[in-house]
Amino acid sequence: MKMLIFACVLAASASIFVAEAHGQAIVIANPGVKASEVSKNDLKDVFTGASTSLGGASVTPVLLKAGAAHDEFLSAYIGKNDTAFRAGWRSLVFSGQATMPKSLDGDAAVVEFVSHNAGAIGYIGKASPHDGVKVLAVH
Amino acid sequence: MKRLVASVFALAMAALPAGAQSLEDLNIQIHGYATQGFLYTTNNNIFTTSSSNGSPEWTEAVLNISSQPTPKLRVGVQTRYFLLGNFGDALTLDWAAADYKQNDRFGVRFGKVKTPSGLLNETQDIDPSYMWSLLPQSIYPITSRNSILAHYGGVVYGTFNLGPQAGKLEYRGWGGEREIEANDGYWISEVEEGINLTKGVNQVVMGGALHWRTPVSGLMVGASASRSNATTNGITTGNGAYAGTQALTAYTEPDFFARYEKDKLMVAGEYNRIPGTIRIQFPGPTAPLTPYDLIGWFGMASYKVTGKLSAGVYDSQYFDRASPLGAARYSKDWALSGRYDINSFLYAKAEQHFIEGTAVGYDATLNADGLHPNSKLTILKLGVSF
Repeated sequence: MKMLIFACVLAASASIFVAEAHGQAIVIANPGVKASEVSKNDLKDVFTGASTSLGGASVTPVLLKAGAAHDEFLSAYIGKNDTAFRAGWRSLVFSGQATMPKSLDGDAAVVEFVSHNAGAIGYIGKASPHDGVKVLAVH
Repeated sequence: MKRLVASVFALAMAALPAGAQSLEDLNIQIHGYATQGFLYTTNNNIFTTSSSNGSPEWTEAVLNISSQPTPKLRVGVQTRYFLLGNFGDALTLDWAAADYKQNDRFGVRFGKVKTPSGLLNETQDIDPSYMWSLLPQSIYPITSRNSILAHYGGVVYGTFNLGPQAGKLEYRGWGGEREIEANDGYWISEVEEGINLTKGVNQVVMGGALHWRTPVSGLMVGASASRSNATTNGITTGNGAYAGTQALTAYTEPDFFARYEKDKLMVAGEYNRIPGTIRIQFPGPTAPLTPYDLIGWFGMASYKVTGKLSAGVYDSQYFDRASPLGAARYSKDWALSGRYDINSFLYAKAEQHFIEGTAVGYDATLNADGLHPNSKLTILKLGVSF
């Protein structure tokens, strides 16, 4: 019985950890982007090159080069690690289907780019300042 | 000299990662990759290499330059150095195209463009994208890759959202002209009989493809069909002493495919058929039409063991239903594969094939003692991309 309780506590702790981990990265967009929320599938399409629009309006994804928010975003919303994610984009680039999204050095650079470019959409760590952009709810 | 140029090119590309981002402000991007493969076979020399002794004659280097001057317009060009045994050893133009995407529902690409048939055709040459060193040869024969990869003309494409309960439908339509080169792998059996094309076969091609991204997350099913027109080309035999013609009837190539991706698992399969007839005519009585009915299929699965290590397996089978019974009629290839990503730019691959039948890229002149019905093929490959 103790083992069962321990297992339940462990599973609950793990689920809390996962829920918190999924909350570490937030999705931001230029204020001109009309959508205020995005489905996980649509977000994945935009960031894997399958789609270039959100809610009927053109959007341009921008990436972080690396870091915890980058890894968290890929894990939570794309379902791939960085190597597989970039391999997918290279496949599009080398077959002439897309150009690689810009990769920026940090959250501040992403906020700066998204705030000044119409249709830009990116992601940053939840705790990072993000004045001048809107946060999209992901469902 | 070409090997030297390719080596310098490959080294230059390997040194470029830092520079790859420096042109971003101009919306110009430079990307590339280079690979070096090693082949060893227990029996038979494969792909015109001396693989039974171990052959490093498999080198590729690709340079891609693209620009996106406006959000809807892209232009790009990609060149390739390709060497595989006696194939290639030349710089070729992969594609050079302008792409205008009005919205997700409609885009058009024209120039020399990748032909988006089947599951993998337009990406079959992009080694960094795959775990496999060699894609299933039943549908993607590497000795014919340059011919079937792209065409001069255009592609229209788009995606329709069918609603949350029905998924999305992607369409591609294409038309134009392609050249099946005179030294292409498709003609290898003719070359073995001493018959050579005087120049490549130019075909008018058109086709369409549908990819249904189903409501089942990660599942895509699709179909494509490609139509090639009838052609008549000059041929010679007797070391050029006799001239004749090779006539191919028009044919339609149907293709059905599916792929399922879930977390670390990928499963895919494809079926393809090329039916037609060919007439080899030299001066004299009218030669008979020779039918061919090439059927290929494969099933594959891969799994990401860790963030850097992937492993997979496929079964690829090919046969000519119109050929006489025997080992030359078919090829069955079981492959076990692994890939290790050393970092974001460097990767290594290892692959083991168990091949039955001889309807795969064997060249009689390099197998003068005759072909064995079975062979094992080991491939090692190192790649760099940026």
